[in-house]
Amino acid sequence: MRRLRRWSHRHANLLFLLPALILIVFLTVYPLVRVFYLSFYRYNPIRRIERFVGFLNYQRLFSDRFFLTGLKNTFLFSVGATLTEVLLGLGLALLFNVKFRGRKFLLPLVIFPMMFSTMVICAIWRSMYHYDYGIFNYALRSAGLQPVKWLISQDLALWSVVLVDIWQWTPMAFLILLAGLQSIPGELYEAAKVDGATGVRLFRHITLPLLRNHIFLALLLRSIDTFKIFDKVYALTGGGPGTATETISFYIYREGFRYFNMGRASAAAVVMFLAVSVVSFVYIRQVWRGEG
Amino acid sequence: MNLWRATAIAKRGLFWIVLALVMVFVLFPIYWMLTTSFKEPLEYATRTPSWFPHRITLEHYREIWKEGAYRYFINTVLVSVGATLLSLGIAFPAAYGLARFRFPARLDLFFLLWVLLVRMAPPVVLAIPLYTTLQGMGLLNKLTGLVIAYQVYTLPYSIWMLLRFVRDVPIEVEEAAAIDGASKGRTLVSIVLPLVGPGLVATAIFAVIMTWNEFIYALLFLRRPEVFTLPIHISHFITEYEVLWGPLMAIGITSSLPILILSGYVQKHLLRGFAISFK
Repeated sequence: MRRLRRWSHRHANLLFLLPALILIVFLTVYPLVRVFYLSFYRYNPIRRIERFVGFLNYQRLFSDRFFLTGLKNTFLFSVGATLTEVLLGLGLALLFNVKFRGRKFLLPLVIFPMMFSTMVICAIWRSMYHYDYGIFNYALRSAGLQPVKWLISQDLALWSVVLVDIWQWTPMAFLILLAGLQSIPGELYEAAKVDGATGVRLFRHITLPLLRNHIFLALLLRSIDTFKIFDKVYALTGGGPGTATETISFYIYREGFRYFNMGRASAAAVVMFLAVSVVSFVYIRQVWRGEG
Repeated sequence: MNLWRATAIAKRGLFWIVLALVMVFVLFPIYWMLTTSFKEPLEYATRTPSWFPHRITLEHYREIWKEGAYRYFINTVLVSVGATLLSLGIAFPAAYGLARFRFPARLDLFFLLWVLLVRMAPPVVLAIPLYTTLQGMGLLNKLTGLVIAYQVYTLPYSIWMLLRFVRDVPIEVEEAAAIDGASKGRTLVSIVLPLVGPGLVATAIFAVIMTWNEFIYALLFLRRPEVFTLPIHISHFITEYEVLWGPLMAIGITSSLPILILSGYVQKHLLRGFAISFK
């Protein structure tokens, strides 16, 4: 008893951390181990099947057309959305770095989209994208143009989903980059102007180099986030038409929770976790450096 | 000199044009949701939808109220407030410990980075084992189960947010309390807590926003209509009824209002709230 008390006195600090530690282990470490374990099993909780199959799930996965298309689409989605969002975010940040009248009023409005639930956003965009009754096609027809099959064309559907993501999350890139711009001291520009530098050259030789870390951060965070794409696919296209908007998250959802083919879904989850971790590690290393 | 002035005016004009285009792109979908929710079906379910509602009707709002959408509202409030309180209760002492003490074997640093990795990981990766765990505990289709599952998001998030706020508290205040003989637990509650109060509120608001809008775990772990949260209700609405947009937009507006109001309080923390940045 006395030893226990002495121990607890010496490690009292640990008590602060303990509840969080236990919950995190229970909610993340254990599930990750379990998902890794299940990926080597044929596992269907509904039909009560649990049988060791070795690497079969992984073999099947990489010959599954749906998974491979999902991989490709996720990659396209992530790269397309991330690059556009950071580029537009940069433009927007430059715009709002100018002091103009009404700036204080407009700034919160620009952030608006990222506050809405993705489902609400999907509801709006699905109504606007509608082939017959949507406002976009109405506008196109009014201008004498052909209506567009926003969500029902094989070639376009993925990019229509990307556009919704751009609308929702450009504000995030914008916030990061605006913070970056505002941390650049104004004297630098003054000094460069005295030396005769103007517009484009100021941007290339002062703004861009000093903004590098913030651009990097925005790219990292947006690519990690877009790689998870699920909600929008679920609500806008359901993975279709055909496999046009199939993504990895959606594949895991369908295999695991519609077909209850949880072994295969686990294998896909492991692959996805590893893929995201590669990018996450770059980010975590940067944060680590900051923590010192 | 005239040429110089002309280009200055042109630049100014261009600036305002670009700004106006941006604002239209940002605000039009919200405008469209707002107006559709007040339009009669004949004005939106048509090949020539109206840009402005000709007759304003509150019919859709009455309809969603009559059909009992407030139940989903209550469920959402319970889950997001529950998850937030649980997270703060656990994350605050943890953040304090991490900010103030050294732990053996750099446990603190590993813990923080692990938690960060988790926050970056796709939620669907953990979904399968969480599903079987919740099932085993009899917590599927229960709001309590979702509150626990949401700790995957809110706990890492709260720990990182609070860590920064706790670090801003000057250590001298605590040292004074220690000299007066207060225990670590007491110091935490009566000295540190009031000082990080505003940070705690900001963290809570972000956690509420996060859980209020969460979709995938709610979809997977709640399969009975009586426990649905708002996003799940909306997703069913979207996928089951092709063009019932009036009520859909009405519920979209209603469900977003609390979040928009709350977000007004955290404007200055927005960046901290959405990105754990690095130097």
